[in-house]
Amino acid sequence: MLDVKNLSAGYGDIVAVRDFSFLLKPGKILALLGVNGAGKSSTLMTLMGIVEQKGGEILLDGVDISNLAANRRIRQGMAIVPEGRRIFSDLSVQENLTIGGHIVDAATLKRGIAQAYEYFPRLAERMGQKAGSLSGGEQQMLAIGRALVSNPRLLLVDELSLGLMPKIIDECYDVLAKLRSDGMAIILVEQNTERALAVADDVAVLEAGNSVWSGSAADAANDSSLVETFLGTA
Amino acid sequence: MLYLELFIQGLVQGSIYGLIALGLTLVYGLLRILHVAHAALFTLGGYIGVVVTNTTGSFPLAIVVAMVAVGLVGMAVYKLAYEPLLHRPPYIALIASIALFIASEEIFRIVFGPFGLSYIDPPLQGQIEIFAGFRLKYGEILVMGIAIVMLSALAWLSAKTRTGIAWRATVTDPEMAAAFGINIQNVRYLNFFIASALAAVAGVLVALLNNLVEPTMGSVPSYKALAIIVLGGLGSIRGTLVASLALGIIESFGTIYVGHLLDRDALAFAFLILILMVRPQGLLGGK
Ligand SMILES: Nc1ncnc2c1ncn2[C@@H]1O[C@H](COP(=O)(O)OP(=O)(O)OP(=O)(O)O)[C@@H](O)[C@H]1O
Ligand SMILES: [Mg+2]
Repeated sequence: MLDVKNLSAGYGDIVAVRDFSFLLKPGKILALLGVNGAGKSSTLMTLMGIVEQKGGEILLDGVDISNLAANRRIRQGMAIVPEGRRIFSDLSVQENLTIGGHIVDAATLKRGIAQAYEYFPRLAERMGQKAGSLSGGEQQMLAIGRALVSNPRLLLVDELSLGLMPKIIDECYDVLAKLRSDGMAIILVEQNTERALAVADDVAVLEAGNSVWSGSAADAANDSSLVETFLGTA
Repeated sequence: MLYLELFIQGLVQGSIYGLIALGLTLVYGLLRILHVAHAALFTLGGYIGVVVTNTTGSFPLAIVVAMVAVGLVGMAVYKLAYEPLLHRPPYIALIASIALFIASEEIFRIVFGPFGLSYIDPPLQGQIEIFAGFRLKYGEILVMGIAIVMLSALAWLSAKTRTGIAWRATVTDPEMAAAFGINIQNVRYLNFFIASALAAVAGVLVALLNNLVEPTMGSVPSYKALAIIVLGGLGSIRGTLVASLALGIIESFGTIYVGHLLDRDALAFAFLILILMVRPQGLLGGK
């Protein structure tokens, strides 16, 4: 469904991603790995239409979406769980979810929000609470829930587990697994290499904006030199 | 009873400050620009109000026309003056804003003449006795009424509508708002429309209370509104309203009790300095 060809992206004169290509099918998880500053977040934000794309193509079901604004990409079925969660802290939980469904009609929005609460019942208990007052784990749940409201087919997830308790991490990964089994395609950026390799189908490794390795997650897990060379000791 | 009178007069003045200063807060909250030229839109509102009332005889129509026309001018100010400067340091937009404000006085002078305009047949001049010996003009009651209606409408819009929620989300994190498909350009236009329309209605009302609009009508409100938004804790809507009413009331009492020391407009700044010494983040500001 997603076919990225020779993607380059950056900020003004800074090039953060160079000539990056990969393929993603429905119901698959691609883990995007690399050390700090490798260009993982920049890649996701470029796919979403927020960071400036400098070259290459982003084909979604064969159609190049490179020039579409974010709202059109969401309509095509993309959504993001951004690095650092970036929930709207002054807004309530319910309002954050409303933003997640900003581009959908009222009935779809209602269904989407109900769905998010189903995935994360703890959010439902806190629907009127200011998002900024949630715990870190709840904020991550809200960030995921917010992305799900528009009912995406392709989910971009940045740093799912960072700073969270193991129990919460498990809960979030359970949701991802469920989404995948429903046919969702997921790009997962994860600091926790072990965790990422365990859940992913495919792996791409970035180093200083360049793609340096790609293949199946099983191959990546068996390739101890890969882990040592590009990801630091796991 | 004198206290109550002064208090109510203070509320009337504070309502006007609130209508003006709120627009500044909205612009600052969204773009981090100190929108000095806002006061020019206030003056423009006053002119349009007087001209439309005098030509059509309808004061309500004048209010609506002033709000819509000035709202559109406010959108144009954003598009032409601020948008090209958004990627520069904020003081550049501030300089542009000051220039625009100064130029606007001259434009008013050229278009409407140097001596100001008045209502030929000023509406709402009747008075009503609130209690023995204390009367308010209908116009003054209207000021408070309009302030309450406008602010309630705004509160409803921002809390209960999807547009309002998107607006607040954009204020919190514009990039993320865009990532969820919010057209932040439209949010900015809406923001300037509302801010400017509020200033316009304040201009029409001040023109009514003074029965005069002149080119320099915006100069005192321009700096006073800046004082108010600093006092309210930059960007805080509630703080702006509290500071507006507080300033109105303090001026009202101050002119009676310390008027021989400090003139009305100097009081505003004495108050500002005093509060900022105790609470540098403003009355309701965070940190
Ligand atoms: N807003 C920005 N403006 C300029 N340069 C940026 C910006 N954001 C990121 N960069 C640069 O782009 C490069 C890639 O950063 P990016 O955030 O994509 O890396 P990352 O792989 O997500 O790192 P991390 O693991 O630390 O999150 C870095 O060199 C970074 O300094
Ligand atoms: Mg990152």
